[in-house]
Amino acid sequence: MAILFQTILFYCFAVFLIGAALGVILSRNPVHAVMFLVLAFFQSAVLWLLIEVEFLALVLVLVYVGAVMVLFLFVVMMLDIDVEQVKGGLTRYAPLGFAIAALMVFELVQVIWVRGRFASAAEGFVPLPEGYSNTEALGAVLYTEHVYAFEIAAVILLLAIVAAITLTMRKRPGLKLQNIAQQVAVKREDRVRLVKMESEKPE
Amino acid sequence: MTFTDLMPASPEIVLLLMICVVLISDVFISDDKRIVTFWTSIASLALTAWSLFASAPEARTLLFDGSYVSDPLSQLLKLAAVGMVALGFLYSRDYLKQNELLRGEFFLLGLFGLLGIMIMISANSMLTMYLGLETLSLSLYALVAFERNSARAAEAAMKYFVLGAIASGALLYGISWIYGVTGTLQFDQIALVLEQNPAMNALPLWFGIAFLIVGMAFKFGAVPFHMWLPDVYEGARSPVTLYIASAPKLAALALVLRFLMEGFGDLHEVWQGMIMVVAVLSLVIGNVVAIAQTNIKRMLGYSAIAHVGFILLAIFTGTEQGYGAAVFYTLTYVIMAAGAFGMVILLSRKGFEAEAIGDFKGLNARSPWFALMMLFFMFGMAGVPPWVGFFAKLNVINAVLDAGFPGLAILMVVASVVGAYYYLRVIWYMYFETGEDTSVFQAKLDTRAVLSVNGIAVLALGIMPGWLLKLCIDVIQ
Amino acid sequence: MIGLNHYLTLSAILFSLSVAGIFINRRNLILLLMCIELMLLAVNFNFVAFSRALGDETGQVFVFFILTVAAAEAAIGLAILVVLFRNRGSINVQELDSMKG
Repeated sequence: MAILFQTILFYCFAVFLIGAALGVILSRNPVHAVMFLVLAFFQSAVLWLLIEVEFLALVLVLVYVGAVMVLFLFVVMMLDIDVEQVKGGLTRYAPLGFAIAALMVFELVQVIWVRGRFASAAEGFVPLPEGYSNTEALGAVLYTEHVYAFEIAAVILLLAIVAAITLTMRKRPGLKLQNIAQQVAVKREDRVRLVKMESEKPE
Repeated sequence: MTFTDLMPASPEIVLLLMICVVLISDVFISDDKRIVTFWTSIASLALTAWSLFASAPEARTLLFDGSYVSDPLSQLLKLAAVGMVALGFLYSRDYLKQNELLRGEFFLLGLFGLLGIMIMISANSMLTMYLGLETLSLSLYALVAFERNSARAAEAAMKYFVLGAIASGALLYGISWIYGVTGTLQFDQIALVLEQNPAMNALPLWFGIAFLIVGMAFKFGAVPFHMWLPDVYEGARSPVTLYIASAPKLAALALVLRFLMEGFGDLHEVWQGMIMVVAVLSLVIGNVVAIAQTNIKRMLGYSAIAHVGFILLAIFTGTEQGYGAAVFYTLTYVIMAAGAFGMVILLSRKGFEAEAIGDFKGLNARSPWFALMMLFFMFGMAGVPPWVGFFAKLNVINAVLDAGFPGLAILMVVASVVGAYYYLRVIWYMYFETGEDTSVFQAKLDTRAVLSVNGIAVLALGIMPGWLLKLCIDVIQ
Repeated sequence: MIGLNHYLTLSAILFSLSVAGIFINRRNLILLLMCIELMLLAVNFNFVAFSRALGDETGQVFVFFILTVAAAEAAIGLAILVVLFRNRGSINVQELDSMKG
């Protein structure tokens, strides 16, 4: 019963995932495409949960939906793209694209189901031991076996900060900014001038 | 693991520390003293080179649970990469200053790129190879778009980024299949597992290798995945083009050698055909299209594609002789490419980019010495004896002949002869045509001296190629 | 019973769709970038499925790093896109033709 339930869930989410992917590549409006991509990531996260890859499923939602997709939306909104101009049907490459996709699916299915050594693995995944924690298992290897890769990932994030700031930060002319140091360092003599003058008597 | 166990990885550690120093010190330097960042970067490169010598292990050493390898091959390639980046910085300094582009980010991104190159060269696992590749690629994308108000640079960067990201996707898809079949990420383990289980050598694995080669060809800029290369060479500022044309080629070589030589060395028949098609196409199309170019950066871009064809044909043989020839070819090619782009930079000045081949007209009248240097680089690339390019090509052709492919050897000779045309055209312009431009070069003495040494090295290595050739064969074994 | 093959097939379909998307959306750069994200999702599917089938966490670690790098890559890609838009006022691929040869 549980297995049947799992199968039904898999097919439900898989169909939604493929539908969302089609939505991403076919929608002309970038905002719709971002939304479809968000849907695709949510479906994927659920499919990963089904095979007990909990940590990555959550990271996918947090990092991708929470950060990367928001960044995409942000840029779409910021650039103010003329949706009307972007519209206008499929390009002449569309039939070619679909032909290539169909061919690739055919080839891959051939590899996976017919010629692959995976045909025997169809009965399921390696069962996990009692009390297994996916997060704990990942953490155990991440900071030991893969510490070098972990450090490089840190370098990549630093590099991304430097590169993104290099590319997008610009000094706009005519901005009115405060110079705090100058404000603080100001002396009384610079601002107030005491003028000695004769007091005027009313006549 | 104690601190001394990390010694073999000290070049990377030193470079990363110095990157942080440059990053932070650059913040506190005012714009008119920006040259300090240049000198700190050069000092970082010198320190990295020193730590390469100081930390050299006597034999092949694995670190970090086998994800890092330090062997003679990595030492040689890393040293060459550090040297190339130093050359690139030195040639670029005056140009950047004149064009008001002397910003710390250029050197910073250049150093990050070098770190990526070194990580790739020392990668023993597909994971670290991928991460190194991304470190390099991300720095290069940002470097190309470095000049923020140039539409052409932004366009080149966008093309580079989109195609590079697709290439990464293809490479990763291939890696995922290889991982799925062999169950390991380390190159030496892959070779071991494949030796023990011959049944794994089947369609799913070949599928992974095919995607892998597509990704590699993209990164190397080989036909039919070369579309980005001429545009990036043309669209980027000359110092950036110089950077892209030199050190990253060493990383691409390491990428191919680690995967195909160390991981799939025994599956030579599987990848041989694919590499051959890519290599032959690169050789033919690169040389033919280069003839039609009027922009020297674009011409050198197509010439780079043709040279990649040679390098891949050397790897295609699958013999130690062939791998050695590939290392020798790449090392000598990057020296010549750095010199040629150094000349393009030397001819440029504020507001004027010496991009057209016609800008080299009458160079002999302006400066006989630098015309001679350019002649050295062009003869070297064309493969005229006794310049070093000749021996590089000869080695590859020998290796291909010894592997039993006389047809390919003939093709390579013909392609070289066709290719000689566009190199000789530059020489013709320099010596037998007169140009309108008679201005004097603005480069400083040290830049001129290094460029001269660079040019003389192309000739000197050609006269005495023996020791380098022996070294290249030794590091492969 | 759902097994490795089902997940691999799903991943293959996703990968093919992303490749088709790259061909279809040659006009709009932001859609191209999204197709690339879809391609990486397909790769991640493969790694996750293989990791569970082999009973080996390394594949999941690889996915962890792909997610990290993809975030960095998206940041830089979008930064380049912004620079391009500021310079040209358009992100239409067909207008990216100032260099030919």
